[in-house]
Amino acid sequence: MSRRGFLTATAGALGTVAAQPLLSACGTGGAPAKTGAASTSLLQRILPHYKPSSLIKPDYPSVAGSSPAYLSYPSSLVRTVADTPGSGGSYTAITPLWGTIPSAGNPFDQAVNQALGATVSVAPANGNNYSTVLPQLFSGNKLPDWIQVPTFWAPPLNFGQAAADRLADLTPYLAGDKIGQYPNLAAIFSSGWEAGIWDDKLYGFPSYTATFNYGYQLYYRADLLDKLGIGTPSVKSISDLWDLATEVNDPKAKRWALGDIFGYLYQPFNYALWMLDDKGNLITQYESEGIVEAMNWMAKAIKAGLVHPDQVAGNYGNGVTEFYAGQMVIVSDGSGAWNAADAQKGQASNKGYTRASFDFFAASGSGTPKMPLEAATAWTSYLNKGLSPKQVEECLRIANYLAAPFGSIEYNLLNYGVAGVDYTTTGTGPQLTAKGSQYAGSAVSTYNFLVSPNNTVYNAGYPAVTKASATWAQRNAGYGYQPLFYELNVVVPNSLSSANAFTPFNPTSGIMYEVARGRASIADYQSTLATWKRNGGNKLKAFYEGVLAQQKKLGSA
Amino acid sequence: MTDAATSTARQPRASVVAREATTLAAGARRSAAPGGAQRSGRRWWARLRRDRTLLIMTLPALVLLGVFGYAPMLGLVMAFQDYDLYDGLLHSPWVGLANFQQLFSDPGFWQAFWNTLSLFSVQLVLFFPIPIALAILLDSLQSRRLKSVVQAVATLPHFFSFVLVVTIFNEVFGGAGLLDTFLRSHGVTSPFDFMTDPGTFRLLVTSQLIWKEAGWSTIVYLAALSAISPALHEAAAVDGAGYWRRLRHITLPGLKGITILLLILNLGFALTFGFEQMLIQLPAVGSGAAQVITTFSYENGIVAGNYSYGAAAGLFLGVTSVILILGANKVAHLFGEDGLYRK
Repeated sequence: MSRRGFLTATAGALGTVAAQPLLSACGTGGAPAKTGAASTSLLQRILPHYKPSSLIKPDYPSVAGSSPAYLSYPSSLVRTVADTPGSGGSYTAITPLWGTIPSAGNPFDQAVNQALGATVSVAPANGNNYSTVLPQLFSGNKLPDWIQVPTFWAPPLNFGQAAADRLADLTPYLAGDKIGQYPNLAAIFSSGWEAGIWDDKLYGFPSYTATFNYGYQLYYRADLLDKLGIGTPSVKSISDLWDLATEVNDPKAKRWALGDIFGYLYQPFNYALWMLDDKGNLITQYESEGIVEAMNWMAKAIKAGLVHPDQVAGNYGNGVTEFYAGQMVIVSDGSGAWNAADAQKGQASNKGYTRASFDFFAASGSGTPKMPLEAATAWTSYLNKGLSPKQVEECLRIANYLAAPFGSIEYNLLNYGVAGVDYTTTGTGPQLTAKGSQYAGSAVSTYNFLVSPNNTVYNAGYPAVTKASATWAQRNAGYGYQPLFYELNVVVPNSLSSANAFTPFNPTSGIMYEVARGRASIADYQSTLATWKRNGGNKLKAFYEGVLAQQKKLGSA
Repeated sequence: MTDAATSTARQPRASVVAREATTLAAGARRSAAPGGAQRSGRRWWARLRRDRTLLIMTLPALVLLGVFGYAPMLGLVMAFQDYDLYDGLLHSPWVGLANFQQLFSDPGFWQAFWNTLSLFSVQLVLFFPIPIALAILLDSLQSRRLKSVVQAVATLPHFFSFVLVVTIFNEVFGGAGLLDTFLRSHGVTSPFDFMTDPGTFRLLVTSQLIWKEAGWSTIVYLAALSAISPALHEAAAVDGAGYWRRLRHITLPGLKGITILLLILNLGFALTFGFEQMLIQLPAVGSGAAQVITTFSYENGIVAGNYSYGAAAGLFLGVTSVILILGANKVAHLFGEDGLYRK
């Protein structure tokens, strides 16, 4: 499962905040519920003012929020931070890392710290169990000075209270025009900063902010389809997808048409975690008709033997390798899967390897396709409340350095490290050396997870990948729409947190997973849904109805 | 029956010694009684002084047990609270038995409970005898070299983690594994997928357990076997007892005590076994077959952040385990066996 895969699972509490105390808690115990919806004027006062900066003109400019893309690396880099940002301070930090943890004090860390004029010791922690480590850090008050907390893992932390108790309030430093003294930070979209607002205060730094941000897209092996004589496929409806899948499926040759693409089906079948039904009532996606159709379709595909057995068995670990090996032709994944590293690894195992993506489509084949957007970033980092104002200011100057945009000297250092040691410049741009890719820059995303500039697309050595993904994004960004509670960090009262975890609907063990594998029926699904509603689900819905009403009242819905 | 006669002739000797020992101890108790508080206090000190070396040797184990066994149990109070990370155990609101009410009305919990019992029963019946058989087999091997090779090979998988074991099984028996690929290339269109079939899951996990643990588990039995005097076998053989007769009347009785002890200990783990094994394979067969109480507690407690609910499930499990182990011990005593301790 991709990192982004978690997003659809827990998308409920994504978004930004603002909160006026509004509703009393439903149910027993817990603090009074705080949630929802700051008025637009209050939000205006909290949010840092956006001041765009553009160092270099992109080859594929942003369309409807798609990330700007560059085919080549700029030959002359610009310095955006004139003075050394740090004043000799020493800070600890924790970020998640999906890969081998590099050794501390490696050449890359040393070079960055020297440039920062301060010691920021980032200790990357295993991303796979990051969500279970966070509660211990928060409850034991063992937080480092700076920590990455993805918003999709914030709900179990009761983050409204966590922020107030443990994290530094950045509002006095960054709200409104105050961000002006940190120009690189001011160039991050306001929607990115919104993700770091909890209970009417700005706490978080955004990383990888992108307006056109979504959970999954549907990829296919373009080279395999060429080889099979199919050429560029045209998938305009779910039945087109079925026809294509049955055509390419050949288990005897160890080639299955599909991976487990259920995570993607919310796009064609058009459902989002919170939505309105035909009568305008608030429902969860689990009550929608679309999700039932999606489950039935997936069950049919698995039964027909179109899905790779490992994916049916929930062994997703080898998914990427199997895609490279041509054992799966069509898979769903996040936008992050389409890049130079992917092309490099894919071509290493299969020379002609080419990843391509279907455009969004509507299941019925008629009408405009729709894709519910996710908050502009889920990656937010926070400073410890224990830091003195002087230390916070030093960290802000460091953050300003870390947020330097594509084409700057700072960006180059943070993403590629030191020339000749961590990366070498080829004709097409900087490329990490074998050693550098173990500990440096974008390979480990340590400093990038503290704060980083708005997302840009650039693939050193693979301009074709950039072209394909950037034109795809330009074509599809317009289909994105803002679902209910978009960019709103709803703080759910403790008593409802169990229902809000949507455990029975867990994508890799819950009831939908079972229905898709033919081990449970739609009737079983309905009874699970009824049980969930009885055990707090109805109260949770009532709570969200209150948030919705409040949003409407404040005119921000 | 000469062999039976030999064993009964020897058995009394051991029990006489034991009986004498208990009589002596009882006598000591009796003579200590009239001595008064002061004397018994002094005797207590004397005994403490006499045994100090042994007591000091047990101290690290006691500290370990206290720190990692008993101290964390204090955290169980959260089962009766609506636990909040920031309020901690001291300030979280009390909710009485609400968590247990929710637990017992949760069909997912009962599913996990029955899965636990049924998986355990199948494993107990199918797995438990295998190390005994293997130990007897190994013990009967004449070549020392062959014996140690077989033993090493059989013991090795114990040191693999379940992640590895499941991966190996998947590579062989999975839908895209060796077996099914072979079948598919020989005209079987949809071969049976052993790894994802909930119906045969109990057999699957038991075979994994046998592959991984059977060799390791023989160690205890081998020790017990080596304690049986070869003279017994020789005497029986001289009297004309064949292999099976000696097995039945010498070897198996010699293993009886340790077998019962291990059976009881196993019952104690009945509800907590296989957390890792189940967690890894949950997605493959679904919660209908693989969700056990420990994974249920983990999923609802740690993953979903609902600590009180997870703790309630954990507490239920702990109490049930204690009842099981005490019950089994009682049964063992009723049958005149030692059980966990000598009565």
